[in-house]
Amino acid sequence: MRDPLGVQALRPWLRLLGEHRRRLWGGAGLLALTLGAAIGLLALAGWFITASALTGLAMAAGLAASLDVHLPGGGIRAFAITRTVARYLERLYNHDTVLRLLADLRGRLFAVLSRLDARTLAQQRASDWLTRLIADIDTLDGLYLRLLAPPLVALGLIGLLAAFVALWVPAAGGLLGAGLLLAWLWLTAGQARLGLAASRGRVAQRQRLRSLAVEHLQGLAELEAHGVTGRHRQRLAACEARLQADQRRLARYTALGTSLVGLGVGLAMLATLWLAAAAWQRGEIAGAVMVMLPLAVLALGEALALLPGAFTQLGATRAAAERLNGLAEAGKGAATGGTEPLPGGAPSLTLGGVCLHYPGALQPALEAVSLSLGAGERLAVTGASGAGKSSLAALLSRQLAPDAGTIHFNEVALPAIDEGALRTQVALLGQRVDLFQGSLAENLRIADPGADDASLGRALDWVGLGEWGESLPHGMATPVGEGGRALSGGQARRLALARLWLRDPGLVLLDEPFADLDTATVERLVPRLDTWLAGRTVVYLLHRLDDGPASPPGVTHRAHLVAGQLTHFAPGCTIGQDEG
Amino acid sequence: MAGDGESRRWLAAQAAAQRGWLRLAVLSGLLASLLTIAQLGLLAWILSQLLVEGSALDSLGGAFLAVAGCLALRALAQWGQEMAGQEASERVRRRVRTELLDHLAALGPVRAGAHHPGGVASQLVEQVDALDGYVARFLPHCYLALAGPLTILAVVAWLDWLAAAFLLLAAPLIPLFMALVGAGAERVNREQFAAVTRLSSHFLDRVRGMTTLQLFGRTADATREVYTAADHYRRLSLRPLRLAFLSSAVLEFFASVAIAVVAIYVGFGLLGYIDYGPSPELTLFSGLLVLLLAPEFFQPLRSLAQHYHDRAAAIGAAQGMLALLAEPARPRHQRQGPAPRGDARVELVGVALNHPGRGRVLGPLDIRVAPGETLVITGPSGAGKSSLLQLLAGFVAPDSGVRRALPGLRLAWLDQRPWLVQGSLAENLRLTAPSASDAQLVVALERVGLGEMLAGLPEGLATPLGERGVGLSGGQAQRLAVARLFLSDADLVLLDEPTASLDEASEAKVVAALQALAVDGPSLVIATHHPALMRLATRHRVIEAGHFVAAPAGEASDA
Repeated sequence: MRDPLGVQALRPWLRLLGEHRRRLWGGAGLLALTLGAAIGLLALAGWFITASALTGLAMAAGLAASLDVHLPGGGIRAFAITRTVARYLERLYNHDTVLRLLADLRGRLFAVLSRLDARTLAQQRASDWLTRLIADIDTLDGLYLRLLAPPLVALGLIGLLAAFVALWVPAAGGLLGAGLLLAWLWLTAGQARLGLAASRGRVAQRQRLRSLAVEHLQGLAELEAHGVTGRHRQRLAACEARLQADQRRLARYTALGTSLVGLGVGLAMLATLWLAAAAWQRGEIAGAVMVMLPLAVLALGEALALLPGAFTQLGATRAAAERLNGLAEAGKGAATGGTEPLPGGAPSLTLGGVCLHYPGALQPALEAVSLSLGAGERLAVTGASGAGKSSLAALLSRQLAPDAGTIHFNEVALPAIDEGALRTQVALLGQRVDLFQGSLAENLRIADPGADDASLGRALDWVGLGEWGESLPHGMATPVGEGGRALSGGQARRLALARLWLRDPGLVLLDEPFADLDTATVERLVPRLDTWLAGRTVVYLLHRLDDGPASPPGVTHRAHLVAGQLTHFAPGCTIGQDEG
Repeated sequence: MAGDGESRRWLAAQAAAQRGWLRLAVLSGLLASLLTIAQLGLLAWILSQLLVEGSALDSLGGAFLAVAGCLALRALAQWGQEMAGQEASERVRRRVRTELLDHLAALGPVRAGAHHPGGVASQLVEQVDALDGYVARFLPHCYLALAGPLTILAVVAWLDWLAAAFLLLAAPLIPLFMALVGAGAERVNREQFAAVTRLSSHFLDRVRGMTTLQLFGRTADATREVYTAADHYRRLSLRPLRLAFLSSAVLEFFASVAIAVVAIYVGFGLLGYIDYGPSPELTLFSGLLVLLLAPEFFQPLRSLAQHYHDRAAAIGAAQGMLALLAEPARPRHQRQGPAPRGDARVELVGVALNHPGRGRVLGPLDIRVAPGETLVITGPSGAGKSSLLQLLAGFVAPDSGVRRALPGLRLAWLDQRPWLVQGSLAENLRLTAPSASDAQLVVALERVGLGEMLAGLPEGLATPLGERGVGLSGGQAQRLAVARLFLSDADLVLLDEPTASLDEASEAKVVAALQALAVDGPSLVIATHHPALMRLATRHRVIEAGHFVAAPAGEASDA
C-alpha cells in the first residue's frame, strides 16, 4: 500500500487550509516560539546555576573567578516573558485562524451540498445523516490545531535542538536528532497506524449503536406489547460492548503513546547527558554546557505531549474526510444543466419512456412513463403514496435525472436547459414545506429577494393569511421556523403557496397543494389559484381526485399512476371550476 | 433543564460508585509524580557527582541505570493511571446507559415515544460518551492538581526552605488560579459551544431546506450567507476570548516565573551573593533539583486546565439526561394490574386520561374486551381512539380508574408506522417472535400476501432491509408488520389505524390478513375510520370527545 494511513483523503481539506498559508505559518511560528522559549528557559537556567556553583566553588577555593550575571539573568527574564506572551498571542491568533478555517469549511461544504440531487438529499430524512454531517465537520475543524501545527512544530524543534547540541557535541547532536526523529515518526505515523482500525471502528460502532437506539425507541410499543424489550436490550448491550472495546483499545494506544513520550524524552536526555559528560571529561566543553544540553532535551517533552492523542484518532478524521469527499463526488454527478434558454410563458411538456430506479429499491419508482401536455394545459396525476408521484415531480423539476427516457419542455431536452432559466420558469410546491430560521418576511423573500413589504403583504392576503399576519405582534418580523413561532401544517402550506405567488413561472408543479388545509380554506383558495394559474402549464399530483368544490381547478388531462406505471392518460373534462 | 448544581451532584454520585478505579488512577498518578521527583533527584545527583566530586563517568553507570529504571516505571504508572481512569469511565457510562434505558422502559411507549427518537438516541450514545473525559481524566487530575504540588513543595522545603517559600507564595494562589483557570476555561468553552451550536443549527437549517433553496435558485446566496454567519461569529467571539485566554497565559507565566526566580535565587546563592537564610548551604545538587522541580510544581495545574472542557461537556450532557430521568415513570402496579372480572381479556374501569396542557382527553369510561371478539372503535380524529388503545395496552397509566388485565396476557401491537429495523427480512420477523422457525416465517409471509414477493427475492428470508425498511413499499412494510402478528400467539391484538397510509390495493390485502388472523382466536381491538376494516367488527363502539356515544343503528353495543 502506498498510502497506508489514507492521508490522501485529507488532501482536499489540506488544500483548503493552504489558502490561509501565511496565517498557518504564523500560528505555527508562535507555537514554536512558545515551546522554544520554554526549552531555552530551562536550559539557560541550568547553565546559569551550574556556572554559578562552579564559580562559587572556585572562589571558595581562593581562585580568581568571576561570572557575568547580567547576560544570563537578562536571558532568563527574556525567555520567561517570551514564553508567556507568545503563549497568549498563540492562543488568540490560532483561535482566530481556526475560526477563519471553520467559516471556509462550512462555506465550501455548503456549496458541495447545494449540488446534491434529490435522491442524496432524501437520505437525510431516512437517517441521521445530518447529525453525522455536523460531527464530520466538527472533526475536520480540528485538522490544523491537532494534526498539522503540532507535528510540524515538534519536528522543527527537534531539528533545532539537535543542531544546537551538535554545536557543542556533534556526536550527541547526531544521535539525538536520529533518536528523536524516530520517536516523532512513531508518535505520529506509528500511533496513527496503531489506532487506525479502532478509531474507524469506534465511529462505525457508535453509528450502529445510535441506529439501534433509534430503532429501540421507535419500537418501544411493539417491544413492550410482545414482552421482548429485554431481548432487544441485549442487542444494544452487545453493540455497546463492541463500542467500548474499541474505545478501550484507543485509550490503551493513546496511553501507550503518552507514556512513550515521557520515556523517550527521558532516555534521550540520559543519552545526551552521557555523551556530554564524556565530552566534558575530555575537556571539549565546559561543565555548565554539559548541564545545559540534557536539560534542553528534557524540556522538549512538552512539544511532543499532544501528538499521541491526536494521531491515534487519525482514523476518525480520515473517515470524516472520506465521507465528505464522497458527498463532493456525489455532487459532481448531479445535473447542472446546459445553456439552452427557456423563454417565459407556458411551456409544453413531453415525457418519453421515463424510468427511474432508486438504488436498493425492490421495484422501479417509475417505469416507461410517457405523456405529453400542451402549453397552458393542466394535468392531474393521481396515485397512492409510493406510486411515483413525488418522483415524477422531482424529475420534472430536474432534482433527479431519469435512468432512461427523455423529458422535453417546448421541444428542448430538460438536461440542456440553463439552470437559472429553469428555476425561474419551473415552480414546485412539494409535499414538505421548508421553513427557515428567520422572520416571516425572510421566509417569503426566499421566493423573491427583491420583493417589498407591500407585495409580501399581498402574497399573504392571496393565501388568506393577511389578517393573521397583521395580528402578529411583530408582523412580518415574527420569527418562524425552528426556534421561532410554530406554524400549523395548514399555515405552513399556505406560506408555501404565498411563496409561489411571488414568482412568475411558466410551469407549475403542485404536489398535494391542499394537504393540511380545511375545506373552507380550500374553497376560498381554488378560484384565486385558478386565476393565477391561467396562462401557465400545470401538473397536479394528488392522492385522489374527487370532483367537489375543493378539488384543484381547471384539470384538462388526467393520469393515474400505479406502482410507477402510468395506467391511464386521457384528456378529462374540466372540473372543479365553480367560478369560471 | 436541571440546574448546574444538580448536574454536578449527579455526576459526583456516578463517579463515587467507581471510587476504587478512580483511587487507583490517582494513586498511579501520584506514583508517577514520585518517580519524576526521584528521576530528577538522581539527575541532579549525577551532575553534582561529576562536577563537584569529580567522579569518573564510568563509576556512575549504576545511577544512569537507576534513572532509566525510574523512567520505565514512571511510564508504567502513567499508563496505569490512564487505564484505570478509562475503566472507571466505561463503568460509569454503562451504568448511565442502563439507567436511561430502564427509565425509558418505565416511562412507557407513549411518554418515551413523545420524545424525538434522534434526540434521545443522541443522549444515549453521544451524551453518555461525553462523560468519558470528565471521569477518566478530569476527576483524577483534580486530585493530582492538589497532591502533586504539595509533594513537590515538601521536597523543595527539605532542600531549601527559602526556595520553597517562593513556591509557597504561589501556593495559596493555587485555589485562586484553579478558580480563575476554571472560570476562564469554562467561559471559553461556553462561548465556543454556544456559538458553534448556533452556527451548526443555522447550517443544518439551510441544509434541511436545501431542496427549497435549489428550487428557488437561491443556493449561491445561501452559501454566501453560511460563510458570512461563520465569519460574523469569529468577529463576535474574539473579544470575550481575549480575556478568557488570559487564564492560559497566567499559568504559563507562573511556570516561567517559578523557573526564572528559582534560577536567579539559586545562582546568586551559589555565588555567595545572598547571606540570608539557607542560601549559604545551597549546593549544585540542591540548586539543580530545586530548579528541575519548579516546573513540575505547576504541571498538574496545567494538565487540569487542559481537561477542564471535559467537565463543562459532562455537566451539559448531565443536564439533558437529568431532565429525562426526572420525568415521572408509570406506577408499576398499573403495568401489572389486577385480574379482570369474568372472562374478559382486559378491562378498563372508570378510567380517565389527562394531557398536560389539553386537560381531559378521555373518559371516564368503562370497556371490556371479551375473548375472540373483534372490537372496532371509530370516531373523529382527536376523539381519543389512540389514547384508549394505549390505555388498553397499559402503555400509559390512567389518571383515575383502573386497568385490569388477565394475568400473563400476551399482547400484540400494530400502529400506522410499521416498526422495521436494519437487518434481514427474517430478523425483522423474529423481532417479536425470537424462536419462530424459517418455515413459520414463510407461512406468516404467505398469509399476508407477501409470498410472491418472497419468492422473487434471490436471498429469500436473508434479504437485508435498509434503514427504516428502505426497499419495501409502505404497503409491503405494513403487511410485514402484520405477518409478525401471525407469529405471536397473542391473546389480544391492538391495532391503531393499521391501514391509515395505505393505498386501496394494499389496504384490501391487510384487511384480508387481519380477517384471517381473527379466525385464529385472539381478540382484536381496531381503531380506524376505514369502512373495509369496520366490516371485520363483531362489535362496534364509537368514541367522540373522549366518551363512548351510541353506536350506529343496527349494531350491537357494549353492555
